[in-house]
Amino acid sequence: MIPLPEPKPDILARRDEIVAALRAIVPGSALGGGLGEGVISEPLRLKPYETDGLSAYRQPPLAVVLPTSTEQVAAILRYCHRNGIRVVPRGAGTSLSGGALPLADAVVIGLMRMNRILEIDYDDRLAVVEAGVTNLGITKAVEGDGFFYAPDPSSQLACMIGGNVMMNSGGAHCLKYGVTANNLLGVKLVTIEGEVIGIGGSHLDAAGYDWLGLITGSEGQLGIVTEVTVRLLHAAEGARAMLVAFKANEIAGQAVDAIIASGIIPVALEFMDRPAIHACEAFAHAGYPLEAEAMLIIEVEGCAAEQDARLGEIRAICERFDPISVRVAQTAEESLAIWKGRKGAFGAVGRISPDYLCMDGTIPTSTLPEVLRRMGEMSDRYGLKVANIFHAGDGNLHPLIMFDANDPESFRRAEEFGADILKLCVEVGGCLTGEHGVGVEKRDLMGVQFAPHELDQQRRIKSAFDPQWLLNPAKVFPLDGLPEAALARAPARAAARAA
Amino acid sequence: MQTNFTAEQLKDPDTRVSNTILRTCVHCGFCTATCPTFALLGDELDSPRGRIYLIKDMLESGRPATEEVVRHVDRCLSCLSCMTTCPSGVNYMHLVDHARRYIEETYTRPLPERALRWVLARVLPHPGRFRLALRAARFGKSLRGLLPRRGTTGQRLHAMLDLAPDALPPESPAQAPQVHRAAEGPWGERRGRVALLTGCAQKVLAPSINEATIRLLTRMGIEVVVTAGQGCCGALTHHMGQHDPAMAAARANIAAWSAEIEGEGLDAIVVNASGCGTTVKDYGFMFRDEPAPWRDRAVEVSARALDISEVLTRFDYAPSRESPGLVVAYHAACSLQHGQKITAEPKALLRTAGFTVKEAAESHLCCGSAGVYNIVQPEIAGRLRERKLENIARTRADLIAAGNIGCLTQLAGGLPVVHTVELLDWMAGGPEPPAVGAARARQGAGAAA
Amino acid sequence: MTDGLLSPATESELAGILRRATAGGEPLAIEGNGTKRALLRPVQAARTLTVRHLTGITLYRPQELILSARAGTPLPEIEAALAEKGQYLIAEPPDTTALFEAEAAETRPATIGGVVACNLSGPRRISAGAMRDHVMGVRLVNGQGEVVHSGGRVLKNVTGLDLCKLLTGSYGTLGVLTEVTLKVLPAPPDSATVAVSVRDLAAGVRVLSAGLGSPFGPSGAALLPGGAPELGLQGPTALLRLEDFSDSVRYRAESLAARLGREGDVTLLEAARSVPLWRAVRDAAPLGALPEEAIWRVSVRPSAAPGVAASLSRAFDAKLLLDWGGGLLWIAGPAEAATHAAVMAAARAAGGTWTLFRGPDGLRASSEVLPPEPAPLAAISARVKAALDPRGVLNPGRMHAGL
Repeated sequence: MIPLPEPKPDILARRDEIVAALRAIVPGSALGGGLGEGVISEPLRLKPYETDGLSAYRQPPLAVVLPTSTEQVAAILRYCHRNGIRVVPRGAGTSLSGGALPLADAVVIGLMRMNRILEIDYDDRLAVVEAGVTNLGITKAVEGDGFFYAPDPSSQLACMIGGNVMMNSGGAHCLKYGVTANNLLGVKLVTIEGEVIGIGGSHLDAAGYDWLGLITGSEGQLGIVTEVTVRLLHAAEGARAMLVAFKANEIAGQAVDAIIASGIIPVALEFMDRPAIHACEAFAHAGYPLEAEAMLIIEVEGCAAEQDARLGEIRAICERFDPISVRVAQTAEESLAIWKGRKGAFGAVGRISPDYLCMDGTIPTSTLPEVLRRMGEMSDRYGLKVANIFHAGDGNLHPLIMFDANDPESFRRAEEFGADILKLCVEVGGCLTGEHGVGVEKRDLMGVQFAPHELDQQRRIKSAFDPQWLLNPAKVFPLDGLPEAALARAPARAAARAA
Repeated sequence: MQTNFTAEQLKDPDTRVSNTILRTCVHCGFCTATCPTFALLGDELDSPRGRIYLIKDMLESGRPATEEVVRHVDRCLSCLSCMTTCPSGVNYMHLVDHARRYIEETYTRPLPERALRWVLARVLPHPGRFRLALRAARFGKSLRGLLPRRGTTGQRLHAMLDLAPDALPPESPAQAPQVHRAAEGPWGERRGRVALLTGCAQKVLAPSINEATIRLLTRMGIEVVVTAGQGCCGALTHHMGQHDPAMAAARANIAAWSAEIEGEGLDAIVVNASGCGTTVKDYGFMFRDEPAPWRDRAVEVSARALDISEVLTRFDYAPSRESPGLVVAYHAACSLQHGQKITAEPKALLRTAGFTVKEAAESHLCCGSAGVYNIVQPEIAGRLRERKLENIARTRADLIAAGNIGCLTQLAGGLPVVHTVELLDWMAGGPEPPAVGAARARQGAGAAA
Repeated sequence: MTDGLLSPATESELAGILRRATAGGEPLAIEGNGTKRALLRPVQAARTLTVRHLTGITLYRPQELILSARAGTPLPEIEAALAEKGQYLIAEPPDTTALFEAEAAETRPATIGGVVACNLSGPRRISAGAMRDHVMGVRLVNGQGEVVHSGGRVLKNVTGLDLCKLLTGSYGTLGVLTEVTLKVLPAPPDSATVAVSVRDLAAGVRVLSAGLGSPFGPSGAALLPGGAPELGLQGPTALLRLEDFSDSVRYRAESLAARLGREGDVTLLEAARSVPLWRAVRDAAPLGALPEEAIWRVSVRPSAAPGVAASLSRAFDAKLLLDWGGGLLWIAGPAEAATHAAVMAAARAAGGTWTLFRGPDGLRASSEVLPPEPAPLAAISARVKAALDPRGVLNPGRMHAGL
């Protein structure tokens, strides 16, 4: 279990009073008979909220509150601020870095019920949605009219846009279309004091400081986002994929370089290593070449003629590297078949291994062969298998470390292996996390990427938004740098009780 | 996920199976996205992932189930939409079935609930008793003003009255035990031989479904056996966690069908209520720890169980009438699309028959029927029903077709509803179902308006 | 004035200067080559700190789509290095020389640090993003003289708070950029413009929306109220640019022309005429601002642009140029407080923002050149500023009076 700040004893002691006050703010939904209640406080029912997509770390919260409006969120934060109560925001709980991991003395604020789409405007190409709308839900609402919301993390079916904003989520499409930060126009932010601030709006550029840019990817450190204005794009006329198998990782890497050098930016450029190919094929039977050391899936967009032209050019480039095989989809069905294995990759790995850790680091693309080689050495040393999915266009690497959660030794080794991989990413000029966020998972590695005074600089900016460090205080920043104001021993807030 | 069962606990075969299922779950949360109760309630506790977590905790603890766990497991529809979505292959169905049995054996429900469940278990699976109950309900409808509206019991009584039909169709002799010979045709004596599960509630509420099934199959050259000794498939009591009555019902069916299999042989056991089909296909699993003859017979039965749409596809269904110019909204029953993974065949058959087929938005979401769910959880069932009917209305279809009696009952009251097989039978020479007449009348009224 | 000018040759020298400035509470004006000194508000500082000697491209990896350069590197040097490898700066920042009419003797090129600090982006912002979307990494020196980095040299990076975004467009008030790492892309080999004659601005914005809402992915969407007479385009003209391989440009231009034909006369401009036209749009040349006029930039949702234009025209003799599909209005008009008030009112009414881009010193010093932040945000803003520049030595008053 990862270290967490000491819970505040006075908060724990006042649990019943706090729950009652929260119930007064969020009485519950319209469903009667005890359904849809607004506050959860019984220990047994708090358990499913003790973790998220990183289920190895678990900590039940003090209480969970499920607001349905920005006003309720503001009232909750005002109350918590007045009483020095820590808060942890939660969307769909799909975070792979423990972003929604609670604290024993914290109130989890779940935004899942704020799931309405408020406005869709095709002329101005934007949609205004509440933070609990799922990523794919936005696209589904507009795809009938030919539009889509571009960032597509693998969890897009379930993950919520509020969480996407907090993590600055990416996805396979982001090589061409950018990440969440590049696809937003505005947010409604509720500060820890309960002020509701409109950042940006429906216009493209905010004159003044780029608060939207700072808030995106801030992992709940600066405030809670309750509403998001996203950019909508019209879908291209079509898309088609091709699959190329190579004899070595280096060669695949060179092919990627050559494709980029030719001036083509595909809409997706995915790399899979041999273990990943085998895992996916066993599950999906997509016809992946099992003799390949490395495989690229490349997708281009446009009308049929444009697709043909670009795919033909890419094929010609790849053929300079003596591939084992090249498979170009001729139809949409064939495209789907090529993607089938890749899309099921995480589940496929889950079927050959009791558990896995999905890592997320970014490296300069030219260092991929060396990184894979050194990861192979680590894999031997730790005795744990690893499969690699790599967003080849932008350097984002997802090693899947296979382990057994019921064996504490296995988990410990997996964590160490993961940390070594991330340190390697930084060593070759990359970074700790490309899209999953720091959360708790990489918090204690931040010193590998930043000097102490740089972390202090970021902490001071965090303090500007949240001087008492009540917003998600156990994430992102190593605990040894927590300011006095954040600690359990801080002097109790003067005067006012829940009045 | 990590599990914490003791070696002692893992000696129990059911716990061993559930441990494997729990280990398969990686807690990714994809399942929450397609769960009807999560969509309505927005609470992790009412999502498959949350229920898995609560069940894990309950089974690991070895202590009796508590009211909190029961509340959230009860709210599960067993629609199995989560299984369709899960990338890791978690068998949620077996896990929640185990949990329901565990709850039934360790938890004492409040008296009104126990009474209701007792009544449902003893009435619904028995056509004779069910028929009597429905007659009483018709009488009860006139007195419904006297019944309390508030409180759980009041809500459930009203839900039952709402579901009871105003008029009961007459009993159908075709559903009695007998052999329905194949029609004459170029195939010699017959093309195949099947048994038909006539069911329980369906026999009473809509005998026309079995009649249409028998007519259509025999016309296609298939001999249809209605065996003696068969009855309710056991799903109802199984989903209430009542293990022994469920196994008894299943055993009766297995016995009856095994006799046929070992006798003249059966190419298939046809099920036209998809809620039952999922259970019959699961008999092999349910009987895995039973003594050898029953275990093996159950596997044989499960292997032959097919939904009517699968049988018709296999035997090359073809229409004999002209296309009727009707738009059908195909409602995919959960047990069919998620439980049995049958998604394409019913739509393909309807199109072959000459209908224009539309599918509503959010077609993965349950209509709220889910067995007796619409009686024991009327609030949620009602909200799901509204949502489903709104989505269907937007397709501007003339009528709704579905492959499960529960859905047909749940969705009745707006657009005309009809079982898929009745439309297919009509288009292949059978009588026009009353729903079609109602649909045409609406079309006419719509055109005039 | 050279004796008021501090020009460190290295980052550590620069850091030393800032440490001393903070210790002494001495405000400094921060600049690269001072090409945008006239933008926003004038800074009252005895001395100026320039980064113009911190030059040089430190890392360029075309196949990884990144380029790192010290903040004082002139823009033309970077553009030339990119062009050599067939790549370009995605956001096409405007060349403001003509707008700010620098005297010939003083004309220096813009520096990359200044370009990033101002976050000025050109027409391609509508499709490919603004400068701030392509800043992958920064090194800066904060007000206390500490050297801090954020981001790095990779395209996907969510490690810690995103100071790249915070610093971009902060006009040197939060830190002095010493090095930036930018995402770059291959320059499309070909381009063309679909020009549509429209009845008025409202019709023009509709045409641009139709183009941007099509599958053909225009990389520029501008509206010239006065057309482009030198190209034979009279009257209000909507422009949609396509940049891609030649086969795609041809196909998409024809497809757009076919779709938009019923909105007005369509003219197709090939690359030779299209490229200079968009350079002019980028630099706001079609605005035709006179030297004595003030210039504003207003950003609104595109459908609100015609309304803004109408209300400005009612208030004064407004010259206009629309870009970003209508989402950006360049405005020129009398350099008076009343005009400025009208611009602010129109922008506010449309739910958008404004910038006083150019004006006489008196107007600049006495106006809100940027929208004031609402009180809760202003309080946070002040604390963030203090977290980076506790003594307020960096460009005080550059964006808002007193900050």
